[in-house]
Amino acid sequence: MMPGPKPPVHHPAFIKRGITHVLSTNQAGPRINLIHMPRAAVESAMLAHVQTADISRFRPVFRGRSSVRLPMTRPTEALAMDALLRRVAEMRDRAAFAALFGHFAPRIKAYLMRLGAPAAQAEDLAQDAMLNLWRKAHLFDPAKASAATWLFTIARNLRIDAIRREKRPQLDPEDFLPEAEPAADQAMALADDEGRLRAALKHLPPDQIAVIEQSFFADKPHSQIALELGIPLGTVKSRLRLAMARLKSALGDMP
Amino acid sequence: MRHSIHHHPDESLLLAYAAGGCDEVTGLIVATHMAFCAQCRAAVRLMEKVGGGLLETLPASALSDNALAATLARLDEAVPVSPAPRTSSEDGTPEPLRGYLGGDLSRVRWRRMGPSLAYLPLLKRGAVSAKLLRGAPGTEVGTHSHRGLEYTLVLSGGFSDVTGRYGPGDLQVADHAVRHSPIADPDGDCINLAVTTAPLKFENLIQKIAGPLFGF
Repeated sequence: MMPGPKPPVHHPAFIKRGITHVLSTNQAGPRINLIHMPRAAVESAMLAHVQTADISRFRPVFRGRSSVRLPMTRPTEALAMDALLRRVAEMRDRAAFAALFGHFAPRIKAYLMRLGAPAAQAEDLAQDAMLNLWRKAHLFDPAKASAATWLFTIARNLRIDAIRREKRPQLDPEDFLPEAEPAADQAMALADDEGRLRAALKHLPPDQIAVIEQSFFADKPHSQIALELGIPLGTVKSRLRLAMARLKSALGDMP
Repeated sequence: MRHSIHHHPDESLLLAYAAGGCDEVTGLIVATHMAFCAQCRAAVRLMEKVGGGLLETLPASALSDNALAATLARLDEAVPVSPAPRTSSEDGTPEPLRGYLGGDLSRVRWRRMGPSLAYLPLLKRGAVSAKLLRGAPGTEVGTHSHRGLEYTLVLSGGFSDVTGRYGPGDLQVADHAVRHSPIADPDGDCINLAVTTAPLKFENLIQKIAGPLFGF
């Protein structure tokens, strides 16, 4: 016989923000069903949790119009990072900045070291990247990319500038008509998409993931990567093409 | 930009741009193609998300103890230099090409190279160089093959060769396997952005001699 439902738990952080659909908990941590909840409320509730609890135990399941796909594939942590970044932009919140720093700076350092930067320089550039985040936070648009993706582009550009001593030729978005970019209120769905992309990345065949990783971490042209792998350049290119097609289809109807 | 684009950079080239692996000259032609091409802009956005995903999965590399404090202490520093104010284009010349030209395509001061061809050196990094080329209607560039790669992006007008027809926004990538004699469309000037990673191999004697003088 199934055990009866546990009594609902109402977390004060949620109630304060007008969220009352907190239904149940389970052994693994709070399990929360949220129905038609404004995104801002989700984010601020999660922030409250980031500040008060171990967020790795916080696994909400979103139900409702914008997120019918279950389970939510994007790590909750990543969504919380986006919320922290918005908080930096909107409130110049140093505690939120420190939380972002703790998560991303060591990863940016690792990224730069994988590309051959000495540890000291990688750390300096990681700090510069986070400083850039602080200064440009108002430009972050969660409808277009996650905090991780945005920081990846910042770190990539800093590396080109500081290590390769070149400029990166950049587009100006005002040069073309606005494209079918998702509207801001679809950011939650987009966050899901990015989560599915990452899940799909993990499930690529090893030979495909290898050429993708080398593309990002080896700082070598694909012709060189082909030589080192002992395969023709055409094979590297076809692996990349297959991998990108697979990742694109993981995003379903995304352009 | 209403012309539909048929010739795109391949995944390898787009990924090199997205991952930050390609040199500045090649980046210039890829990004200028993207200014014409929503499909490749979307592809690069997807690749950047892959970069974000990879960043997220990297094992953290420990920072020195005072890293956070040192960064927090810098948050109130004055922001160094603000970027130059955006200049708009009168003839639709997109960035990043506009920035490298220092203005619009219609104001380029061309250098003549024979009766029907003009050019302008734009950027050079090692052996990789970018030039603007303008051919009068019907101009034949001359049969050549390639020691390295030749990227040709049509900015206006169009040209044809054995591999097909190229219009505004189309990017041709020719390697050592390609021998061609591009001919500009008969109905107007053809303006291209061209990047080469090694000098071209012309077959006509005069071009063999003249090519290197003009940096081809």
